[in-house]
Amino acid sequence: MRSGALKFLSSPVFWLIFAAAVTMPLWLSPYYLGVATIALFYIGLALAWNIVAGIGGQMSLGHSVFVGVGGLLSSALLLKLGINMWLGMVIAAAISAALGAFIAWLDFRFRLSHLSFALITLAFAEMGQLAAVGSEFLGGASGLFLPPDHGSLLNFEFGGQRGNFYLLFTASLVCLIANLVILNTPLGYYLRAMRDNENAAQAIGVALLRNKIIAMMISAALTSIMGTAYARYSGFVDPYQFAAPHVTVEVVLFATIGGLGTVLGPLVGAGFLVVFGEIVRGQLGGVLPGLHFFIDGVLIIVVILLMPRGVVSKIAEWWDRRHAAAPENPKIIAETATRT
Amino acid sequence: MDDILVQALIQGLLIGATYGFIALGLGIIYSVSGVINFSHGDFVTLGMFLCYSLWSVLSLDPYISIAITLPVFIVIGAVLYRYLIQPIVGVHMLMIIQLTLGVSFILQNGLLMIFGGQPLRTPSAFEAKLLFVTDSVILRLTLVVAFVVSLILACVLYWLLNRTDFGRSVRAIHQNPRAAALMGINVTAVRTITFAAGFGILAIAAGLLLPGTPAHPGMGLRYTVITLMVIILGGMTNFFGIVLGGFLIGVSEAIGTVYVSGIMGMMMPYAIFVLMLLFRPQGILRRAS
Amino acid sequence: MLEVSSLNAGYGRVKVLDDVSLTIKRGEMVALLGANNAGKSTLIHCLSGLVPPTSGSMSLDGTDFTGWPPHRIVELGISQVPEGRLIFPQMTIRENLLLGGINRRALPDRQKSTDYVLDLFPRLSERIDQMAGTLSGGEQQMLAIGRGLVAQPKLLILDEPSLGLSPLMVQLIFRVLRQLHEAGLTILLVEQNLNLALAYASRCYVLERGSMVLNGLSSDVKNDPRTRKAYLGL
Repeated sequence: MRSGALKFLSSPVFWLIFAAAVTMPLWLSPYYLGVATIALFYIGLALAWNIVAGIGGQMSLGHSVFVGVGGLLSSALLLKLGINMWLGMVIAAAISAALGAFIAWLDFRFRLSHLSFALITLAFAEMGQLAAVGSEFLGGASGLFLPPDHGSLLNFEFGGQRGNFYLLFTASLVCLIANLVILNTPLGYYLRAMRDNENAAQAIGVALLRNKIIAMMISAALTSIMGTAYARYSGFVDPYQFAAPHVTVEVVLFATIGGLGTVLGPLVGAGFLVVFGEIVRGQLGGVLPGLHFFIDGVLIIVVILLMPRGVVSKIAEWWDRRHAAAPENPKIIAETATRT
Repeated sequence: MDDILVQALIQGLLIGATYGFIALGLGIIYSVSGVINFSHGDFVTLGMFLCYSLWSVLSLDPYISIAITLPVFIVIGAVLYRYLIQPIVGVHMLMIIQLTLGVSFILQNGLLMIFGGQPLRTPSAFEAKLLFVTDSVILRLTLVVAFVVSLILACVLYWLLNRTDFGRSVRAIHQNPRAAALMGINVTAVRTITFAAGFGILAIAAGLLLPGTPAHPGMGLRYTVITLMVIILGGMTNFFGIVLGGFLIGVSEAIGTVYVSGIMGMMMPYAIFVLMLLFRPQGILRRAS
Repeated sequence: MLEVSSLNAGYGRVKVLDDVSLTIKRGEMVALLGANNAGKSTLIHCLSGLVPPTSGSMSLDGTDFTGWPPHRIVELGISQVPEGRLIFPQMTIRENLLLGGINRRALPDRQKSTDYVLDLFPRLSERIDQMAGTLSGGEQQMLAIGRGLVAQPKLLILDEPSLGLSPLMVQLIFRVLRQLHEAGLTILLVEQNLNLALAYASRCYVLERGSMVLNGLSSDVKNDPRTRKAYLGL
C-alpha cells in the first residue's frame, strides 16, 4: 500500500511524469496550462483533506471555511491593511489551524458520530459562507480584487501564468509530501488506528484528542495555503467560489473516486476529474451545463458500489494480479521486483 | 399583536406542516435503515419538474399530476434502495453520505441540462386564490391546501406506524433489527417498502409545494438542509418531534424573512442546528418513538 | 424432526463451527452445552438464518432450509428466544406479542396464542400495556419466551434463558418450559448453566471449540469426564 506508493514514487515512471509536470509551462498551451493550474489547486485540496478524512476517517464537510480564510483573509489583509501577502498567508493558515483545532476538539469532547460530525462541519461551512458574504472587510458579496501581478516575489507575486503555475505546483507538492510524511510516521499509524476502530485505538493508548487536533490543524493550514495560492492565481477572490460548501463536496467526490486514504488516490482523482471537467465544460458547457458534475455524480456511485477503495486501488489490484499470474518470464519477475 | 407578525406566524405554521411531512419521509427511511439521504431535497425538485413536464405536455394541474408522480416515485424509491443502498447497508456511513451526494449531483445537474437554470413556473388551479381569514391576514389557498393535506397524511402515517402490523415491523426494525428478523419480519422487504413510501411522500410534497413556487434545479439543497434541521430537532426518529420541528423551522423561517436581522439572522438556524446536535441530540421532545 | 449435518460456519476468516451435526426428535427437550465461545450461539444463529453456514445442511421435517433468510425459517416453524432477550423496548408488551405472531403461519391464530401466553405468564397480563423497556429482567424473559410462543413454533430455541436472572425467576421460567415440553413442544435449550440444563433436558450435546464432542442422555453426559473437560478446559 503505502510502501507501494513510495516504490512507485521512486520508480522511473513517476520521475518521468514529474519531469513532464514540472516542464508543463514549456509545452502546454496557455489554455491547458490554466486547466493544469486549476487541477493543481484541487489536487492540493484533495490531498490536504485526505489527511483528515482518508487517513483519519473523519468526514469534514467544512473545509471550504479554510479555503475561504486562506483566500479571503489574506487578500483582505493585503488590500485593507497593507499586510504583505506572505505574512497574510501565514496568518490565515494559523487561523485556519485554530478553527480546525476547535472543530476537532468538538468532535472529541462531544463524542460525535460520523454523521453528526459531517452535519456539524457542513453547518459551519454554510455559516462560513454567510460570514464571508456578509463581511465588508472580507469583500462582502462582491469579493476582492487583488493588485495586478508585477512579478515581485517579495509581494507574493509570481509574474503571470507561468509563475502562478509553479506557485500552485509547489503548494500541492507540499500537500503531497505532508501526506507521505504523515503516513510514514507514528501520527499516520495513530490516525489510521483511530479511523478503523476508535475504541480499540483508545484502549491501546492512542491519544485521541491530540492526534485529531494535530491532523485537523495540518489539514486546515494546508487547505488555507492552497486558498491563498489560488487567490493569487485567480486575481479575484469570489466568496461564492472560495467559501462555497460546494467546493468541499467536489473535493470529497474527487478524493473518494480516486481512493481515500491512499496518497495517489486523491492526486489522481482530483487531477483527472478536474481536467476532464474543465475540458467537458469548455466543449459542451454552453449546450449541457453541469454535464461534468453529472458525470462526477455517476462516477462516485459506480466507485462506491464497485470499488469502494477507489479507482487507484482497483488499478493497483489489477496490476498486482497481472504480474502475479506469470512467474515464468524472468523479465517480468525483474520488473515485478522493482515495482511491488 | 402586530398583523404582520400574525401573518408570518400563520404562514410559517402552514408551510411548517409540509416541512414536517417531508422530514417524516426521511425520518422513516433513517429509522429503518440508518440512511441519511443527502439528496432528499433534490427529489422534491425532481417531483416539481416532473409535474412541470406533465403540465407542459399534457396540461395537467400539479395537484392532478401527483397521481402520476406518486407511483413513479414509489418505484424510484424501491429501485434506489434495492440497487444503490442495499448493497452497502452496514457499510460505513461516510460511503452512504457520499453515495447520496453523488445522487444529488446527478439530479441537480441532470435537471440543469434538461431544463436550464431559469426558474420555471407551473400554473395551477387556484394558485392565485387567496383566503381572507381576517381583514389583514391573507393566505394563499395553495398554502392552506398543502397544510391540510400534509397534516392529514401525517396522521395517516402515524396510524400506519402504530396501529398496523407493517408499522410495528418498521418500528421493530428500528429498535432491534436482529430481533425483528427473528420475529419472521422480512427486513429487506420492509426496508424497500419504507424507502418507497418515503419517496412517495416526496412526490406528494412536491406537488403540494409547486403551485406558486418557481422551480429551478438548484433548489433541492434548501429543502435538504431544512429536512436535516427538522430531523435533528425531532431527535431523528421521534414522530411528534419531527412534526413539531417542522412547525418550528417553518415559523422561524417566516419570522426571519419579516424581521431580517442580517447575517446573524441567516446564521441562526445553522447555529441552533449545531447546538442541538451537540447538546441535545435526542431532539426537543424527550421520548423516542 | 431437526437434522443438522456437517455444519461449518464462521465469521470472515474465523472458523467457529467445525463439522457439527445434531438431531432433535419431535417432542424432545435437548440441551446444547459448552463453555463460552464454544460456538453455541453461532450454531443457533445458523439455525435461525442469521449466519449463513459455509457448508453442511439443516432441515426441519425433511425440508432443507440451509441458506434460507430468517423470516422464512420462522415461517417454517423455528422460533428463537435470543440471548439477552432482545425485546422491543419502546413498544408495549401487547405490541411485542403481536409482533411475535406476525409470520404468515401464526397470524390467523395470533389472538388465541397471545391469550395462551398471557395465561402462562400472568405477570405479563397484568402489565400488558406497559413499555417493555421498563420491565424487570425476569419479566422481559417471560415476554421474550411469550413472543417466541406466539410464533407457533414447531421448534423453540432458547439462547441462555437463565442469564442475568434471579434464582427464583429461573425456577419460574424453567417450570414453564417443562410445562410447555410436557404439552408437546420441542425445545432446544442453550445453557451455560450445566446443572440447570442437565436437570431439565433429556438429552445433551456438548460443543467444545466448534466441534461436537459428546452427545447422549443427560445422566450419561453428566458423569462423563469429557463434559467437565469441555467446560473447564482440563
